[in-house]
This record gives sequence, C-alpha cells and structure tokens, in this order.
Amino acid sequence: MARAFRKTRRGIAGEFEPGELRLLRRLFADVVQLLETEKREDEDPLAALIGLDLEAVKPEDSAVIRLLPDAVRNDDDGALEFRRLTERSLREEKVSALRGAALLLENPQMVLNPDQSQVLARALNDVRLVLADRLEIKTDEDAARLHGIADLEDAEDLESYLALVYNFVTWVQEGLMQALLSSAGPSD
Amino acid sequence: MRQPTMETMSVGVIPETHQLEETEEDLTAGTAVPWVVIVWNDPVNLMSYVTYVFQTYFGYSEAKARTLMLEVHEQGRSVVSTGSREQAERDTVAMHSYGLWATFQTADA
Repeated sequence: MARAFRKTRRGIAGEFEPGELRLLRRLFADVVQLLETEKREDEDPLAALIGLDLEAVKPEDSAVIRLLPDAVRNDDDGALEFRRLTERSLREEKVSALRGAALLLENPQMVLNPDQSQVLARALNDVRLVLADRLEIKTDEDAARLHGIADLEDAEDLESYLALVYNFVTWVQEGLMQALLSSAGPSD
Repeated sequence: MRQPTMETMSVGVIPETHQLEETEEDLTAGTAVPWVVIVWNDPVNLMSYVTYVFQTYFGYSEAKARTLMLEVHEQGRSVVSTGSREQAERDTVAMHSYGLWATFQTADA
C-alpha cells in the first residue's frame, strides 16, 4: 500500500506500489480521453490556435459537464457563448495537467516541488470528479455511504470497485493536500 | 466537498471574519456594478483542496481561504472574488481549471 505524501526538506515525498501507479496513470489517461474532442475537418485553424471553438456545445456526458461546467447560471445562451470562447483552452489545460501528472508517477518513489504537487492535485481532483459522477455522488451523504468501502474484499460489483478506487484516489489527494498545506501558502 | 467528520478534514478554529471584502479590489472605471465569482458546494472537492486553491490562486491568507471554504461548505456558496467583468471571467475559468464549480454574475444579480 502506498504511503501518504509527506513533507521533507527536499520536497513532498510519495511512495507507491507499481500496481497503484498503473491504476492512477490509467485513470489520468481515461479522463484525457473524455476531454479530448474529435478534430473536425472543417475546423478554422486560426480559431483553434487562439483557443476558440465557435461550434462548441454543452457536453452530453454529465462527467464532462462537471469538468467543464457552465460559467453563467440561468442563462443558457450566455453560458454557451462563454463556453465557445474558453472551453477549448480549459480542456487543453486539464489534459496537460493529467499528462504531466502521469509523468510524475512513473517511478514508485517521487519527490515533488510545489508546482509538480499542484499538477498532481489538479489531476487527482479531476479523476475524482469523474468517478463521483459515475458513482452518482450528489450529496455529502452519498460520499459518506461509499466511504466504508476500503478493501478489495468489500468490492463485489462494478459500483463497489469504483467506490474502492474513488476512496483510494481521495486518500492519495488528501495526503498530498495535507503535505502541501503544511509547506506553502502565505501565513497570517 | 466531503463530510467534515473525517479526521483528516477537521478544520480547527473558525476564523473570526465572515465579512467579505467587497471593496478590496478596484473596480474598473465607469462600471457601477461590480462582478462577482461564486464558488458552489459539491460533495467531491476536499476541504483541504478548496482551501489550497483559494490560497494559491487568489493569494488569500490561510484564515481567509478557510473562511471562504467553510462558507461554500456550510452555506452552499461563497463569493470568492469581486472586480471587473474581465477579472470575474478569468477567475471563473481558473476555478474550473482547478475543478471547482464556479460561476460569475453582477453583484446585484
């Protein structure tokens, strides 16, 4: 089992088993796949270059909507207009963090600087958002219900296996955040 | 955000200031009504992560970041920044890049 991230003099140190690393990298790749839009042949290359996507529509997959939410409430037209101006860049930024995080997890032991820690934290968070959507975690009570599934023996079906993975990724992210918060940020 | 009962998510002392610093940032000239960015509660984002994002992105003190995080968690939403429309748009996209659920609107909406 992985050891929680901890603050050291050289940076934030983590240690994982090979199977855990494979799982996390696979999850990052899965989310990348969700985020990458198919290239359209009639696409305006200049618009693509500056991050616009004038044909963008609200995603159909609820997990993708959670990753790329409407920025304006109760105004579908306003939200869509903003999506067309910003969504492509946001997708690219997320994909870049997910790919970067996968690179950070190539070896069982790692020491991360604050920037690398942030890349990993973002990627872990996006994975959790997608898993939570699949698990239909909509309230704090839903999250609490799944919290008890912590052992492979508890995983009897796809849902409980997903919950097990969700809890593992949560544990990894929480450990990373505790190490990060104890080492950074302006003090009062 | 996750349930606050987990040991790792104990939040310690609630900071004293619940007042939002609406006047902290200059508003663009000629704009009568400022724009605000609202972060909404969800059961997934960790309290520690949300606090970290507010500290890292906005440069808020730990106390202010925690106050805003608790406001999101307990009241369902919190105004996390106030300023020009352009700033609100930038901040909203940044919150989305961190995976937080944010929207922008005029302060009087």
